[in-house]
Amino acid sequence: MALLELSGLTKRFGGLVACNEVNLFVDEGEIVGLIGPNGAGKTTLFNCTTGYYRPDGGTITFEGQNITGWPPDKVSHRGLARTFQVVRTFKEMTVLENVMIGSYCRVASTEDARKEALRVLEFTGLLGKKDALGAGLTVADKKRLEMARALATKPRLIMLDEAMAGLTQREVAEAIVMVKAIRDQGITVFLVEHVMEAIMPISDRVIVLNYGEKIAEGTPAEVCANEEVVKAYLGEDYRA
Amino acid sequence: MRVGRLTVAPQVAVLVLILVALVIYPWLFTRSFPVHLMIVIFIYAGVATGWNILGGYAGQVSLGHAVYFGLGAYASTVLSTKWGITPWLGMFVGGAIAVLISLLIGYPCFKLGGRYFSIATLVLGEVMATIFLNWRWVGGAVGVFIPMVEESFLAMQFHSSKIPYYYIALVFLIVSVAINYLVDKSQFGYYLRAIKGDPVAAHSLGINLTKYKLMAMSVSAFLGAIGGTLYGNYVMYIDPTTVMYNTQSTLIMLFAAFGGMGSLFGPTLGTFVLYPMGELTRAYLGGGGRAVNLIIYGALVLIVALYQPGGLVAWFRQLTRKRG
Amino acid sequence: MSGQATIILQAILSGLMIGFIFSLVSAGLSLIWGVMDLVNFAHGDFLMLAMYFTYWAFALLGMDPLFFTPLNTLLLFIVGALVYKFLIQRIIDAAKTAQTFATFGLMIILRAGAQFVWSGDYRAVLDSRATGQIWIPGGVSLGRPQLLAAIGAVLSSAFLYWLIQRTELGRALQAVAEDKAAASLMGIDSQRMYMLAWGIGLACVGVAGALLSTHYYIFPTVGLLFGQMALVTVAMGGFGNIPGTFIAGVINGLVMVLSGLVLGPAFKYLGPFALYLVVVLGRAWGLFGKE
Repeated sequence: MALLELSGLTKRFGGLVACNEVNLFVDEGEIVGLIGPNGAGKTTLFNCTTGYYRPDGGTITFEGQNITGWPPDKVSHRGLARTFQVVRTFKEMTVLENVMIGSYCRVASTEDARKEALRVLEFTGLLGKKDALGAGLTVADKKRLEMARALATKPRLIMLDEAMAGLTQREVAEAIVMVKAIRDQGITVFLVEHVMEAIMPISDRVIVLNYGEKIAEGTPAEVCANEEVVKAYLGEDYRA
Repeated sequence: MRVGRLTVAPQVAVLVLILVALVIYPWLFTRSFPVHLMIVIFIYAGVATGWNILGGYAGQVSLGHAVYFGLGAYASTVLSTKWGITPWLGMFVGGAIAVLISLLIGYPCFKLGGRYFSIATLVLGEVMATIFLNWRWVGGAVGVFIPMVEESFLAMQFHSSKIPYYYIALVFLIVSVAINYLVDKSQFGYYLRAIKGDPVAAHSLGINLTKYKLMAMSVSAFLGAIGGTLYGNYVMYIDPTTVMYNTQSTLIMLFAAFGGMGSLFGPTLGTFVLYPMGELTRAYLGGGGRAVNLIIYGALVLIVALYQPGGLVAWFRQLTRKRG
Repeated sequence: MSGQATIILQAILSGLMIGFIFSLVSAGLSLIWGVMDLVNFAHGDFLMLAMYFTYWAFALLGMDPLFFTPLNTLLLFIVGALVYKFLIQRIIDAAKTAQTFATFGLMIILRAGAQFVWSGDYRAVLDSRATGQIWIPGGVSLGRPQLLAAIGAVLSSAFLYWLIQRTELGRALQAVAEDKAAASLMGIDSQRMYMLAWGIGLACVGVAGALLSTHYYIFPTVGLLFGQMALVTVAMGGFGNIPGTFIAGVINGLVMVLSGLVLGPAFKYLGPFALYLVVVLGRAWGLFGKE
């Protein structure tokens, strides 16, 4: 049984079909990448899965349970966490407090939340900045914080929405290390990316979306060799 | 507490000193006005602190909070004048009614977003004021006089001195601040700040936005109602224009915002500074409808919004940061 | 026509006429809200200002409100642009709560300021050119000033709609409302557009204020109820949605007069406000569709 399964997922915005009968699954322990040109429906898919949009059709199953139409907070409690494409740091809180909000998902007391948050900060390398205000962080740190905060909710599966966007090459390399470390902790990763140098080396499997439909699926090498994929990315110059 | 804390001891020492000063204060004067002033300040500060939990922490600005203040005043007054029920009980009845009304308004509005909530509170305030102005059973525009009875704690009436009222009001303020403190330190407080900071992110981290906003709303309304009961019993006369009007709503919101939204002592500070100032202005510059104090109040709200949304507390913090 | 029917017809026509005024006032608020996502809590009090301008033009300069209307429109347009430039521009990027406080503070200053400067006395423009009654078949009488005001309001609303929908300026405003960043890429200066929106928004109030002054009392707190009515109307009709706001304004006018008839004059405002609360509840439960 797959950890996460989308079956026939459809989402329309007026006349535009953003997601059209998409079927995909993510197995436990995998790192699965989701790619596709701009407007392919990747973020829409994310938003439907995590409860921000109500799908017009299809079902979303997590650990065998139908979570279609669940609100975001319920999805999060269930063990499915996400980050946002444009980071949503709590600007007026410190790094530690930001992560504590995530920890509070699993513990009730402030002391426990603080302890748990410190653990996560250490894991993500942000411990030194724990008292810095969210507003004053660099982009890379904000992205890292976003991940840390989501990890604090102790998810089974974490969905990363373009976590590498806006990072320098070195920062991307660091982020890749982070993602692998997350998987080594036993958390399954499902990520959307544009930065090919990041997603190809780390994904076990890649799913390609175009115009709201799945057009290819397979290992990174298989996907890159796929003519449909290359055509969709006209202008993209990536070779395996 | 949000104020830059070096060690716990100095802060606590200052607090204890202030508390001692407040306890001694009423015995220092022979005239009753200084005590009277403090009683009203304590009550308003307590209500403003309650407002702050919803407005400062959760970021939901209630522009019609006088509704709860008035409901508290009316509930306990009606119960005591018509059926002889002690205001101490009436207080909780008023609180319960206030909470109920607040939930009825809050529930749909919170789903739609902050500004719809603010508009709805404004409108509700007008609706309530109109209803009470025309409701003869509760006195309509004439209001209700609380008849003088024999002085007793149970009846919340003291005639020989204002001092018992003073301590009751002080306890109310302390309780209100204490509740605020507990909220500030707990998961509840953190969640409210997350909701204010970025509701979408908060939602993704397992926070049920509506539930926590409603909780903040209830606490806020309840404290408003308690304050209303105390005020009514102290002044011994209530009518819609003195307890349920947009004037009172504006003051409550102003005291909290000017003092410092989202801070522990901000609303209290704001009340201590602005209320006496308003009274002074009214006495020297404005009688008979020359609303000078309101102009000053309006200007202060504007200045706070433009230059320092964190209010007096934030200004103070900036000053101490520069020194240290 | 029977007595009852006459009263009801009278009420409906009164409701329509005041409703058109609500629509115009609300259109201005809706424009500001739609273009820059800012709720102007002081909108009603600018209407109050417009009414006082008209009164003083009449009392001191002997200018008839009907002739003063275009002048007042220009005046309030300038006031709007200035208020934007010197005040609103500073908080346009601030948190929504700060914006709420800013316009709320402005509201208090205007209201209390009017009280201070002009005292609480009720004033009225008497014997303007607009006075008189018009009788229509069925024994119904319409006040001439009310009728003229209603016609003026409808024409102004239509003009506003044309401005927004059919002119390049209007399209620029719409562009900024939709996506400020994209609009700037197309060479549209969003700051100028915001200033324009405030100018036009208050110009609406200028027209309405002048027209209202022909038959409505002028006093410092007159803006309170008109302001709340505008807020409620825009919230019901949809911010930025001029036609929707127009319809909501008319509905509110009708509901107001009819509630006054049924519940008594003291409760006439309860009708529209209660309607707003019902709509809000309904929207939350998804009855009336999203914003």
